Amino acid sequence: MSKQALIQALRGGRTAKAPWLPYAGVNCAYLINEKASDYLQDPALLAKGIVEAARKYKADGIPLLFDLSVEAEALGCALNWWPDNVPSVVSHPWSGKQPFSETGLRPQDRNSGRWPVIFEAARLAKPELEKLDCALMGLICGPLTLASHLAGVRIFTDVYKNKEFAHEVLQFASQMIALSTQFYIEMGCDVVGIVDPVSSQIKAPTFAEFVTPYCRQSVELVREAGLPSVFLICGDCTKVIEEVCLTGTDAFAIDEQLNLTFVRDVARKHGKGFVGNLKLTLSLSLGLLSPREDTLVSLACGGTEGFVLAPG
Amino acid sequence: MSSKEELLQKLHDTVVAFDEEGTRQAAEEIVSGGHDPLDAVMNGLAYGMETVGRLFKEQEYFVPEVLLCADALNAGMAVLKPHIPSSGGDNSLGRVVIGTIQGDVHDIGKNLVKLMLDVGGFTVHDLGNNVPYESFIEEQERTGAEIIGISAMLTTTMMGMKKVIELAKKKDPRIAVMIGGAPVTPNVVKLFKADGYAQSASTVVAEAKRLMGAFCPAQ
Repeated sequence: MSKQALIQALRGGRTAKAPWLPYAGVNCAYLINEKASDYLQDPALLAKGIVEAARKYKADGIPLLFDLSVEAEALGCALNWWPDNVPSVVSHPWSGKQPFSETGLRPQDRNSGRWPVIFEAARLAKPELEKLDCALMGLICGPLTLASHLAGVRIFTDVYKNKEFAHEVLQFASQMIALSTQFYIEMGCDVVGIVDPVSSQIKAPTFAEFVTPYCRQSVELVREAGLPSVFLICGDCTKVIEEVCLTGTDAFAIDEQLNLTFVRDVARKHGKGFVGNLKLTLSLSLGLLSPREDTLVSLACGGTEGFVLAPG
Repeated sequence: MSSKEELLQKLHDTVVAFDEEGTRQAAEEIVSGGHDPLDAVMNGLAYGMETVGRLFKEQEYFVPEVLLCADALNAGMAVLKPHIPSSGGDNSLGRVVIGTIQGDVHDIGKNLVKLMLDVGGFTVHDLGNNVPYESFIEEQERTGAEIIGISAMLTTTMMGMKKVIELAKKKDPRIAVMIGGAPVTPNVVKLFKADGYAQSASTVVAEAKRLMGAFCPAQ
């Protein structure tokens, strides 16, 4: 296990072998026989789960948690909890396009929502992960995904029909995720990731206008802290991948829908680290492909320059 | 005054250009000109959405553009629908219970599928998002629907679709189940033993018609 190798690869550098970053997420709860709904609200369980996952999977890095509802909950959105999955955001208080003061949303601070739980989990887990030489990764909800939590699905049409409103929501989301970034830095995270899965569902010019500028503050904060940053995107992001490289993060992570050879070439063109892309659905969940062979293919495609092996 | 063919083309073009006002005007001209509104829906609006589906598949259009096209289609439907006999009667091609699977609140694709089925002549019973497994079966029993349509956006929630398929087949093997959503592939359809699959909203009507031909209505 090597935290430094992970950091080096995320910065686009060469490593002796590809570092390994399992996004264990609620799988950590499964590993310690806990319900996800209990696990995600209990600092001791969170710490136990990620340390167990890091140890079991011999990870070079592990996310503190992989849950994109944290910011939404802290800001005032309602959640539905599940025993075997992350919570769902089920209310969108800014969907009426009303002035912010009438939404009932409130800016987050370190005492909002589950932030105290997450701070405590990091405090408990960090020394154990240090012993394992495993990096702790803080994952913030990306600006467009958070905007869709706050304003609902119509944020996708507002980027055309109500640009001013869309920018207002994104501006607020940007300020809030900058706070999240600061929180993860204070917790002692070694890497910070911006997770914006829905940003693959828009055109490149829309990405440039509604995602890139709203990542800037977080990216700067991570850079000032001397840490590496990653942008995580889901789905077929072929048409926006060049834009992803312009967000300013050191690396980007993609999922199984992309060809890793193509991704490697794009990353090297931009001097970025790249993270992926074990086939989460076909291999790890359904077993339709051999996980072993899938891993070998990823390792062969990714090589040892700027590449981090991870589920896609 | 524009000919029927010109108006159908205008309905198509304005849907593709997500021009709500243009679609509404063309639909009003269909009605005022005494043309068949159902023909306008199928060969104007739905034809437009077929093109939108192709553009989505080719990654020329993304979610915002597709939603805006759907807005234009809805604007046209609002004008034309009052002039079309209810699809819940003898004209209905079949009944579909639809929803996103438990734990999954992502319903953009499901709503587009609902729209296409509705336009395509099916009676749709929409359970919304985050639907408990048993609710699909209960609603099928209540409505006598021939098809259950399930959508999932997440790899994790997708696994729940298999449970609904098993429940449906246990109740009545003649109930057809079709699935879709970002993580769903033909391999998943085969593994879960689903009857049908719509890769996108643009192919769902054809797939639903195929299922209606392949399965006996559940009574």
